[in-house]
Amino acid sequence: MTTHRSAAAATTPAAAAPALADLAGLPVHGISLEHSDTVAAEHWLASLSPAPVLAFTHLVRMPRPHVALSLVFAGTTPDFAGTAPTDLGNAPSGLGAAPMGLSSECAEAVAEHRARSSGRAVLYPGVELLVGTLSVAEVLELSAIEKVEILGGGPADPATLIDTGDFVRPQWRSGVLTLITTPAAGGRLVPFETRHPTPCCAAH
Amino acid sequence: MGHGHHHHDHDHSHDAGGAGDVPPALDLSVPDSELSPSDVSRRGFLRSAGLLGAGAAASVLATPSAAAAAGLPHSHGPAGGGTAKGGFRWLAGDHHIHTQHSSDGLYRVIDQAGHGRAFGLDWVVITDHGSNAHAKIGVEKVNPDILATRKELPDLLTFQGLEWNIPAAEHATVFVHPGRHEVAVLKQFEQTFDGSQLPATNTNEQNEAQAIAGIKFLGEQVRRRKVEGALFLANHPARRGIDSPHEIRNWRDADPTIAIGMEGAPGHQAAGIPAPNGRGGARGFYDNNPSAASFQGYPLETYRTWGGFDWMTATVGGLWDSLLSEGRAWWVTVNSDSHVNYLDQSDRGPGSDFEANGRYNDPVYTGKVNTGAGDFWPGFYGRTNVGSTSFSYKAVMDGLRAGRVWVDHGRLIKSLDARVRVAGDRRAATGTPLGGVLHVRRGTATELTLEIDLQDVPNWAQFVPVLSRVDVIVGSVTGPVAERDTFTAPNTKVVKSYEVSPGARKLSVTYQLGRLDKPFYLRLRGTDGKRTQPGLMGAAVDPAGPKLDVIGDADPWGDLWFYTNPIWVLPR
Repeated sequence: MTTHRSAAAATTPAAAAPALADLAGLPVHGISLEHSDTVAAEHWLASLSPAPVLAFTHLVRMPRPHVALSLVFAGTTPDFAGTAPTDLGNAPSGLGAAPMGLSSECAEAVAEHRARSSGRAVLYPGVELLVGTLSVAEVLELSAIEKVEILGGGPADPATLIDTGDFVRPQWRSGVLTLITTPAAGGRLVPFETRHPTPCCAAH
Repeated sequence: MGHGHHHHDHDHSHDAGGAGDVPPALDLSVPDSELSPSDVSRRGFLRSAGLLGAGAAASVLATPSAAAAAGLPHSHGPAGGGTAKGGFRWLAGDHHIHTQHSSDGLYRVIDQAGHGRAFGLDWVVITDHGSNAHAKIGVEKVNPDILATRKELPDLLTFQGLEWNIPAAEHATVFVHPGRHEVAVLKQFEQTFDGSQLPATNTNEQNEAQAIAGIKFLGEQVRRRKVEGALFLANHPARRGIDSPHEIRNWRDADPTIAIGMEGAPGHQAAGIPAPNGRGGARGFYDNNPSAASFQGYPLETYRTWGGFDWMTATVGGLWDSLLSEGRAWWVTVNSDSHVNYLDQSDRGPGSDFEANGRYNDPVYTGKVNTGAGDFWPGFYGRTNVGSTSFSYKAVMDGLRAGRVWVDHGRLIKSLDARVRVAGDRRAATGTPLGGVLHVRRGTATELTLEIDLQDVPNWAQFVPVLSRVDVIVGSVTGPVAERDTFTAPNTKVVKSYEVSPGARKLSVTYQLGRLDKPFYLRLRGTDGKRTQPGLMGAAVDPAGPKLDVIGDADPWGDLWFYTNPIWVLPR
């Protein structure tokens, strides 16, 4: 169990509130490697060096359901644009290979990213500080997350505590980077998305 | 023995074609010029209501023969009847139960059936997962156990079914009437149509088409008399957001005598019991998030339970209502989805080889209490109550197909009799029951009569549940939608709520539905009143609907609801 403010205590206010606007001028890369789910996509993402400053997953249904990514790099962009998908990063066997017929370029992901219409943020300013238990206000202060909502219940009270589970994946909602939460035990909130949801045929 | 509520002297059999059954106004082969003035007017009304014409073919309400084909009663005026509770014998059951023939299961058939019977069920369906091992071995091996259970527990109707991996979608219960070919039909179905048996390279369209073909195959087996009946019900439909609205419509339209509904509430209702006494997870195991296979139009609210119920059913004006307001007969049920049960003290038999044997070895007693399990025994918490004309396999299937079904959690109420009547007609043998369609002349006043016997015996948590409120939910019938991914019904809302007096033994109310102007349906919902919030379509639609269940803190016994299936009122 992590204690409240474990992350926030180490952070000075000056380092806080990184803004998405500061990254607005940088190029957005859309990549589709036909990852079957967000776990596989995030696994591939973790292998990139240098890591992007912004990374979103996008759900694509056609021709087969898969997960694409949109990436923004602060400085050097890894030399993957235009290369064969199998050359990307240090992708583990089976994850980097795209079947024939699917382009590694994903204009759809770029468009969603630019329009802020949909997409789920994996890497964004301040994400590394969102660990342990934090108040809603702290989440807003420490990270690029712009809004915290309760599922089916509107905006969250700034004082309410969120058990982050060290796994915080906000989403674009009407142009606003929004973290959706749900009520949890102890009067707290948890992010809507958990790291390990119940698989479809778990041996439960 | 109950008396059927719609015994007419003409043929209702499914393959009769029914051409002679269609009144002239509904028979589009009869031109307007040959109709009587009143039939012309009636036809115009139906057409403007979207209940007639090309698009209306998808609605079971379009013609009486179509209604009959879907197993819908079509009352000629205030029909119905019998003596007690609409003349039906209400049989409680569960159509979603796993055994040692599922890779995530544990129990023998007799373990599940025996508990289900002891906890008050009249019928159960054994639904092990479709899989390689099940398709090759399990589907046959389970049958002798089911036959033995039928012999051992004659007071319980034990159906054989399976849990279908619907291609491109979630799981579904598929089950058949017992008979010589029950295994052969299920086996052929599973080997041909289960998602686990299809090529991984299939596109979404190919998989969706295969799902439709599977449902049609089942209908064909019934028509060819291989089995006396087969039914499909979508399980935990909103859990992962992958049952899109158009897929649900497509399944139903593939064969409305087979694909009849969905789980209104998922099983796994113990999964939210707080730790350390419980698993501390999400009620129903509804803790997923959108994936690439999900229907992207669904909001995040889809993926959670509300008062223990699936979002499609729990949302007034939501997906279920969008189907009902089209006139699509689509019913809801409640089940255990029992795999491994809360507080049980057994485990899989040692030395099991599921892949080789198609089953785990028989369970063994461990002496350890399993607080981490998320399921209840069949009958322990939820039940699907089916108005049946007799105690028989066929009567249960017929009752399900007709939608004479209400469901509850924790035995919230003892019994329910809801009927829509022509106003003032209180004869015991009249009234259109749940799932039915009352046809009356335009301008005729109708009313709902509702009698609920409040619970007076304890449930399986040893308390007597107290019903606090009953809601009457009404929606206009606006005909088939143009956009098959529609999942809202803007004209459906709670129109009346009845508070139940403390200490009352019975709730007996009449609700005036007014003079028939536009076709409509109604359904009922009740609650212990312990957890409510404004509905997702707003407080004006549903002022006190089911509340979002709390992850890790969802006591299933402290949040009880019942739901009924709808009754339609249409112009004659």
